[in-house]
Amino acid sequence: MKIIVAIKQVPERDARIRIDSVGKWIDLADVEFAMNESDAYALEEALQLKEAHGGEVIVLSAGPERVGKTIREALAKGADRAIHIASESEDELAQYDALGVAQLLARAIEDEIVPEPDFLILTGLQSDDLGLGQTGVIVAELLGLPHASLILKVEPTGSGTVRVLRELEDGWFQYLELHTPAVLTIQSGNSKLRYATLMGIKKAKTKPVKVISIADLMSEDLGKSPAWRPAAPVVVLEQVKLPTKQRTTQMLSGTPAEAAAKLVEKLQFEVRAL
Amino acid sequence: MPFVPAAPTALGIFLAGPIAPADPGRFSLLDKLLLAAMIVTSAALFWKRFGVVLDKILKSRKDPGFRLLPLGKRIWDFLWEVLCQAKVIRERPLPGLAHAFVFWSFLAFALVTLNHIATGFGLAVLSGNGPIDGLVSGGFSGFYFVLAALFAIACSISIAGLFVRRFLVRPKWLAREGHQLSWESGVIAGLIFALMATYLGSFYVADAGLAARLLWWVHTLCLLVFLPLVPHTKHLHLILSPATIFLSRGGFSQIPALAGDEDFGLVTGKDLTQLVSLQAYSCVECGRCTEHCPAANTGKLLNPKEIVLGIRGYLNEFGPTAEELLLGKHNSQEAAFQCTTCGACEFQCPVGIEHLPIIVGLRRGATNTGAWEDDHGGKLFNVLERNSNALGMSALERDKFVQKQELPIFDGTQEYCLWLGCMGGYDPKGREIIASFVEVMRYLGASYGVLRKEKCTGDPARRLGNDLVFQQLAEANLEAMRSQKVKKIVSICPHCVRTIQEDWKEFGAPPEIEHHSEFLARHQSRLPHTNTGEKIVYHDPCYLGRYRNVYDEPRAVIAAAGELVEAPRNRERSFCCGAGGGLAFLGEESGERVSHVRAQELVATGATTIGAACPFCNTMFRDALAATGDNAPRLLDIAQIAAAQLPGKAEKPPMQPPN
Amino acid sequence: MSRSGKSVLVFLEMKNLEIGRISWEAMAAGHSLAEILGLPVDLALVASSGNPIFGHIHGKLPRTVYAIDNTLLHNYTADGFTAAYAQLIERVKPAYVVFPHTYQVRDFAPALATRFGQVLIGDVTGIEANPDGAPRFTRQLLQGKLNANYRHSGAGPCFLSVQAGAFRPDQTDPSGHGETMLEAFPPSLDAAKIRVRPGAPFRPSARTVDLGSAQILVSVGRGIKEEANIAIVQELATSLGAELAASRPICDAGWLPMERQVGSSGQTVAPKVYMAIGISGAIQHLVGMKASQCIVAINKDENAPIFEVADYGIVGDLFEVVPALTAAIRKAKG
Repeated sequence: MKIIVAIKQVPERDARIRIDSVGKWIDLADVEFAMNESDAYALEEALQLKEAHGGEVIVLSAGPERVGKTIREALAKGADRAIHIASESEDELAQYDALGVAQLLARAIEDEIVPEPDFLILTGLQSDDLGLGQTGVIVAELLGLPHASLILKVEPTGSGTVRVLRELEDGWFQYLELHTPAVLTIQSGNSKLRYATLMGIKKAKTKPVKVISIADLMSEDLGKSPAWRPAAPVVVLEQVKLPTKQRTTQMLSGTPAEAAAKLVEKLQFEVRAL
Repeated sequence: MPFVPAAPTALGIFLAGPIAPADPGRFSLLDKLLLAAMIVTSAALFWKRFGVVLDKILKSRKDPGFRLLPLGKRIWDFLWEVLCQAKVIRERPLPGLAHAFVFWSFLAFALVTLNHIATGFGLAVLSGNGPIDGLVSGGFSGFYFVLAALFAIACSISIAGLFVRRFLVRPKWLAREGHQLSWESGVIAGLIFALMATYLGSFYVADAGLAARLLWWVHTLCLLVFLPLVPHTKHLHLILSPATIFLSRGGFSQIPALAGDEDFGLVTGKDLTQLVSLQAYSCVECGRCTEHCPAANTGKLLNPKEIVLGIRGYLNEFGPTAEELLLGKHNSQEAAFQCTTCGACEFQCPVGIEHLPIIVGLRRGATNTGAWEDDHGGKLFNVLERNSNALGMSALERDKFVQKQELPIFDGTQEYCLWLGCMGGYDPKGREIIASFVEVMRYLGASYGVLRKEKCTGDPARRLGNDLVFQQLAEANLEAMRSQKVKKIVSICPHCVRTIQEDWKEFGAPPEIEHHSEFLARHQSRLPHTNTGEKIVYHDPCYLGRYRNVYDEPRAVIAAAGELVEAPRNRERSFCCGAGGGLAFLGEESGERVSHVRAQELVATGATTIGAACPFCNTMFRDALAATGDNAPRLLDIAQIAAAQLPGKAEKPPMQPPN
Repeated sequence: MSRSGKSVLVFLEMKNLEIGRISWEAMAAGHSLAEILGLPVDLALVASSGNPIFGHIHGKLPRTVYAIDNTLLHNYTADGFTAAYAQLIERVKPAYVVFPHTYQVRDFAPALATRFGQVLIGDVTGIEANPDGAPRFTRQLLQGKLNANYRHSGAGPCFLSVQAGAFRPDQTDPSGHGETMLEAFPPSLDAAKIRVRPGAPFRPSARTVDLGSAQILVSVGRGIKEEANIAIVQELATSLGAELAASRPICDAGWLPMERQVGSSGQTVAPKVYMAIGISGAIQHLVGMKASQCIVAINKDENAPIFEVADYGIVGDLFEVVPALTAAIRKAKG
C-alpha cells in the first residue's frame, strides 16, 4: 500500500526567538531547522506499516531549499522517495493560509494517487511552529477522504479497512474503523523513533526526489468546488509579539499558608490547571 | 665475541657432571630416513593448519590508513614487550616471570634444537670441533650447553609451576565460557617439561649409550609433536604475537576512519581487517583483559576475551569473506554494547591485541546499519541531532549559565578557549567544576573565553558507533572553531579532550587541547596551597589515565591540599566509574552497578574526600555515594580542591549528597 | 435584536452528559466577541430539545438556542457532525462561529471550515478590537514562545475555537428567563456518508500508573526524608487529581514503584503542571520533566537547581508548605 507522509521542516525547538524586521515572524538568521516532531512520529508509523505489510512510503514537504535536508533525513530513515514543493523564497509560502497550504499538498498528492486504489495519507498532529493542527483534516476534506485525528496506532485489518487507536481527553482512548483510502493525523509519542543511520543516509542519495514549484502546482485548473480556491487567504497573520510573561521563575514568599494561597491562585488563573 | 667460559666451567664443576649432553651416537641410514619422514610429516601437519590461518589473515581486507613507518617505536615495543616480556611480568609478576623464563628458554634453545636435529643427520654444529667452536673459540659449545641447561632448569620449574597454577589453583580468568580446563595447555606443558627433562637428563647418561639414544628420540618426538600442535592451539601466539606487537595500530584505542561509501564498521567477515584477524589468532586466553574489565567484574555478559575469541571462532567457521553477521553466532550485540570503553583490556593485553577498535568496530557495524535497536540509544542519537548536546537540554540553559557566571565570550583574542562540554554546560555538578576552575583562572589572570555556542564533541556517538552523528558534530565544531580562530582549548572533561584531540582528526585539524589538570599542574607554583592533611583518595579517570597517560598532574593538585591516598586499583589499573562508551546515556545496567563497586572501593580507603578529574566520574559517584548514606565522603573535582585554597575561601563544610 | 441573521453562533459540547466547562468558556468568548461587534449570540448543542440541560445556561442568555437532534449524532463522528453543523450554519448564516478547542473540535472543525472556503482560527487565547473595529484574534506560536495576532478577511463566516482557560465563564445571570428561544433543528443526515465507525471509549486496564497521560504530576524527592512522609505528598496529589511521581532515589529505595520514576532512567513526561517536592533538580531528573508546561518547585534550598527551570518556586520546609497547599487547593475546588 502506498503511504504518503506530509512532513514539515520547522525551526528547532530551542531556537533563539527574535522578531524579524517586518514583525510577522522570527528572525531566521542563525536558526537551525529540524523535522516537526509529530511528523517524525507519522513517518515512523508509516515505516513500521511498510515493514509489516509492504508498500511504499513517499514523503511530501513544502518549503524553500533548506527543506531538502529534512527530506533527506526522512529518506535516510527508510522512506522510498520524496516530493518537494519548492517555494522560491522564505516568504512565498508564508502568504498561504492553512487552506492554501493544504491545497498545495492536495494537488501534489492527487498526481500520486490517481491510479491507486488504496493508500493512506499520514500527517503529524500539529506543527511545532504554527501549531494549527489542521492540515491533515483539510487535505482529507479537499480530497473527499475519510479521516481520523490524534491517532496512536494504525492496523490494516485487510480488505481495505484500517483500525486505528485514537486518543481522547483525560486518559481515555477509542478504536475507530475506517475504509482506506483515508487521512490520519498522528499524535507524538506513540512509538520509539528510529535514528537516521550512516547506511540510510548513503542510500538516501540514490532515492528520487521530485521537485515541483508552487507556481507549477497552482497553474493547474482542477475545476473543483469553491473550496479549492487559489484566491487570497481568509486568515491573515498581522503581527507577532513576544509574550509579556517569559519563563522566569516567580518565587512566592510568605508563611507557608500565604505562599500556598498565592500558588493556588496562580494555578487557577495563570496556569488554568484547577 | 668469545665469552670467557669461567663461570660455566665453575658451574659445570658444581653440577659435577659433564658439560655437554650425551652424544646419541651414530645414526644409520634408516634412522635418518625415519627422522626425515617424521620431520616432513610434522612440518606438513603444521602447515596444514598454519597455512589456513595465514591465509585467513592475508585474505582479510587491508587496514586502510595503516602506516608501517616510523619503525622506531615498533622496534622498541618489540624489544621491550616481546624480548624483555615487560608487560607480561609487570601486570602479573609471578606467573609472568615464569612465562618469561619459558619464553627465554625457547630462545636460548634455538641453537640447541638446531644442533639436536642436525645431530640426527650427523651434522652436529655444537661440538668441540664443530664449525661454531672453530669460529668463535674453544669451549663455546660447552658454555652454551650449560647456559641452555640453566635455562632448562628455570623453564622446568616455571612450567611445572604454571601447570600447578592452571590445574590445581585454577584462577577463574584462565577459564573459557563453557570450558573448565584446557587440555591442550596440559599437553603442551607436558611436552615442554619433557623437552627440558630429556635435555637435562642427557647430561647424565653415557655417550652413545642406549639411554642417550632413547632420550634423543624422545626429545625429537616431543619437538615434532609440538610443532603441529602450535597452529591448532593458542600456542599459535609463539609465531604470531611478535608480529602482532610489532604491527600494532599505534596509540591507544585507535579507531580507524571508515574507508569509502561501503564501509560501515565491522558488520560481516568481509569487514575484518588483517590486523583484526591477526590479533584474533594471537589470543593466548590469559584472561588479563577480562580480569580488569568493569563489565565482566559486575556480572554483565561482556567478556573481552570472549569477544576476541568470538572473532577467532567466526574466522574459523566462516572465514574473512563471509556475509554472516559478526554479531550473531560467535559474538552477541548485547555484550558488545555493555562496554564502557575504559581500555583496561587493551592496556593489559600482553600479545598486542587492541580490543577497543574491535568492540567499537562491532558497534559501528550494528549502529551504522540500524541493527542496534535500543530505546535509550535511539533517543540519544535523535537528541544529539536535534539539540546538539547529549542531555537534550535547550541551548538557552547554557546561555543562562554563561551569563550568570559572567564568563567572557571567546572572540579570537584570548589565549584559551574554555570548553564547557555537555556536562560543564548543563549538569549542576559539571557547572560547579567550571565555576571553580574559572575562579582559579581568574586568580591566575589567565586570558580565556567561552564559545557562544557549543555542540557536543560527539564522544558518546563515536563510542556507540554512530558515525553519521559523530561526523556531523565533529565537522560543525571544527568549522566553528576554525572560523572563530580557536587555537588552544582547556577542558574539564577527559572525554572531550580525547575526542577533540584524536577522534576529530578524521575530519580536520583540531586546535590544541589540554585537560584542566595539566593546566593546573603547569601553574602549581603560582597557586597558593594550604595543606589540611585531610585524606583525599584520587580516582584516575579512564580517559585521562590509560587514554592520555596523565597520572601525576592531578595527584600534584591533591597532594598540595591534603594527604594523597591511593585506591587499591589505581593508575593504569584504575577501575572504571561506568559512564564511558556512551553508557551514561543508556538504560539500566544488569548485574551490580559498576559505579557502586568503584565507589565502595574508594570509600573503603577511609579517605574523607574523593578527588575526581572527570565530570562523568563525578556524576556517577555522586549517585553511588547517595546510596552509601550520610557518612559518605565528600566528592570534589580537583578544580574545586584547587579553588578551595585560593585566598578568601573559608573551608567549606562537607556537602550533603543532593537529591 | 438589531441585525437580523448576523450573529455569533457558539457550538457547545457535551461531556459526560453535561455541558463541559470549556464550552461555557467558549460562550463567554462568544459574548465578548459579540460585544465588540454589537451582534447577538446564538448557541447550538447536539441534544434533543426536551433535554433539561437547556434550562441551565451559564452566563448571559443567548438569543436562540438550537437543539440539534439526529440519531446519527448520538455517537460523535466527524462526518456526522460536520454535515449537521454545516446545515445549521447554512440556516443561521452567522458572521462568526465559535467552538471550544477540544479534541473533538480539532477533528471536524477544519473540515467544516473548508466547506465554506474558510480556515479555522484555532486555540485562540484572546479576542480584542482592532482600531478599525474589526476583531483581532490572538494565538500562541512556537509552543507559547510567541503571540500572534490574526485578522479575518473577506466575506463568509469566520470560524474560531477558544483555548481552555483563556476566557472565564460568566456567572449565571439571575435575571431573565423566557427571552431565549429554543429551536429544535433536525439535520438530515445520510448514514452511508458517515465513513468512520467509532468504538466505545475505554480506559486502558491493568495499568496502575500512566504518568505520560496525567495532566498534573506531583513528584517527590529525597527531601521527603522517610517513606512514611510520602503520605503528605500523596494527599496533595489526591487533592489535585494528580498522579504521584518520584525522582530516582525514592524508587531505588523502594518507597515508590519504579514505574513512577521520572528522569533519564525512568519516564520522560510533559504534563500541564509538574510539582517537584523536595527535589533538587539533578540533571538526570531534569531531563525527564523539563518539557512540562508549568513547573512548580518546593525546596528548602534556595540554590537548588530545580529553581532554574521552575515557573513558580517556594523556598520553604515542605512539611509545612505541602499541607498548607493541600488545604488551599481543597478550599479552591470547593
